[in-house]
Amino acid sequence: MVMFIDLYTEANTFLHRLDPRVKIFAVLLLSVLAFLMTNLYSLLLLLSFIFLLLFLSRAKWSKTYFALKFVLRLMLLIVVLWPFFDRTGTPILLDFGPVQITEPAIWRGVTSALRVGCLASVWYILMFTTSQRDLVLALVRFGLRFDYGLTIAVSLRFFPTFVSTIDSITDAQKARGLVFAQGGLLERSKKYVAVLVPAVVSALRMADSLSLALQSRAYGARFDRTYLRQLKMQAKDYVALVVVVTLLVLPMIAKYVYSVPI
Amino acid sequence: MIPSREAASTVERLVSVQNLKFTYEGGIEALRGVSLNIDRGEYIAIVGGNGSGKTTLAKNFNGLLRPTSGTVTVKGRPTAQMGVAELARIIGYAFQNPDHQLFCSTVEEEIRFGPLNLGYSENEIGTKVERAIDAMNLGHVRMSAPLSLRLGERRRVSIASVVAMDPEVFILDEPTTGLDAEESRELMERLNSLNNDGKTIILITHDMKLVAEHAKRVVVMARGRMLLDSDPRGAFSDLDLIRQSNLEPPAVTLLSHRLSDYGIPQDIISPEELVLHVMRFGGGS
Repeated sequence: MVMFIDLYTEANTFLHRLDPRVKIFAVLLLSVLAFLMTNLYSLLLLLSFIFLLLFLSRAKWSKTYFALKFVLRLMLLIVVLWPFFDRTGTPILLDFGPVQITEPAIWRGVTSALRVGCLASVWYILMFTTSQRDLVLALVRFGLRFDYGLTIAVSLRFFPTFVSTIDSITDAQKARGLVFAQGGLLERSKKYVAVLVPAVVSALRMADSLSLALQSRAYGARFDRTYLRQLKMQAKDYVALVVVVTLLVLPMIAKYVYSVPI
Repeated sequence: MIPSREAASTVERLVSVQNLKFTYEGGIEALRGVSLNIDRGEYIAIVGGNGSGKTTLAKNFNGLLRPTSGTVTVKGRPTAQMGVAELARIIGYAFQNPDHQLFCSTVEEEIRFGPLNLGYSENEIGTKVERAIDAMNLGHVRMSAPLSLRLGERRRVSIASVVAMDPEVFILDEPTTGLDAEESRELMERLNSLNNDGKTIILITHDMKLVAEHAKRVVVMARGRMLLDSDPRGAFSDLDLIRQSNLEPPAVTLLSHRLSDYGIPQDIISPEELVLHVMRFGGGS
């Protein structure tokens, strides 16, 4: 299986061009919307909308598949398991004595699966179209302290490096005759010491040299730091913001003022 | 001639690679059809620029990677049918970064790890560890913590931990990177003596000076293919080919090319040779 650590794909779609803050806000609003909706068809519509945005983000097909595979599996699991735990309502379709499968429970399962599907896949819109650098920058502009933002950025940046270090360590120990898939649980976990120790040592060495590199480039010299890349809201960002807020407010009015079930 | 036929019959083929292709997950074609044989006692340098496929090729020898197509056989058996641990008895692999394998609290323990994994008896392990400590000159640090040593020593510990497994072939990935001239010279001497004891050495490197001084055979890799397989003299006489593989020939070879107008041969690979030719030239005029 191919593993994607960074889901971002470089492209120039309208989603890529949006201010990351607008995207974070939009994703949060769409999540709230998914919570408000109880109607199966509304949720289906919302999920279709999210999927449409995902496909408009022009992410590589392999990445989309990788990301959505988990979501679809989770949804399937909910659909299958829900009716076994929710036994209220009639008509009863199947009766296994203590376990009854009722028709409303099946629909509630499908609804919940759709809601979870929305909540999970909406974040992919953000991840597919926003570079890690922009995400961190947005968080900092939302008020996160810069050094925390930097910590997040560095962890994200070094995660793939660390994974490849662990691969290399595992290979090195295999070449010394270590067979990981042998022996009992205790014996097996002991074998991972041979990977863990070099991994921790490498990580510490990496961190040490990184901190030296940061200091040598005058990190922390000025408290009121400036940014190479300035985030600036543009007309299209405000338009997107209005659209998204409307998308949330209209259904809310429908639900709470006119009592339309959504 | 009878002697050469006799010599041929005593050659033992250890590794045989037939039309090996290897593609990484994600589609990078690292090897695009490589064939070569490696016999007992050879001293081979696999050279090439970064990304030429030399490490991928070496990892196919000890089963860390398995051919996408083609075959690699070790002592007549395809690696596809052997485990990495089983192959480790025949092919030892010292990784480029010693810190990627050192984890024990003493050098001695570290060196014991390999033979212990291979299931040798306590007596055998004792002998092998002593031999390895001796071969890599680590007696003075045997009770030290490996990670507290200097890089040159850490590298020797990592190689000693392979020596202790007593393989027939040693693969060394960039063994001199980060070592100073003295550390480097000492390490190469130790490798030469392993080779003199009949061990096969496979050196992965882009240090051409090292190759010229030590290797008896050079395999030049570029873009997943083998461009050349010859002795160092032959390899360095073709400057274009060497440069095509993002490598730089040793300075003495470049100098001999510059001096070719004065009757100096172009295939010089050691300073001593050049001196000899220059002296002859000077004496003649």
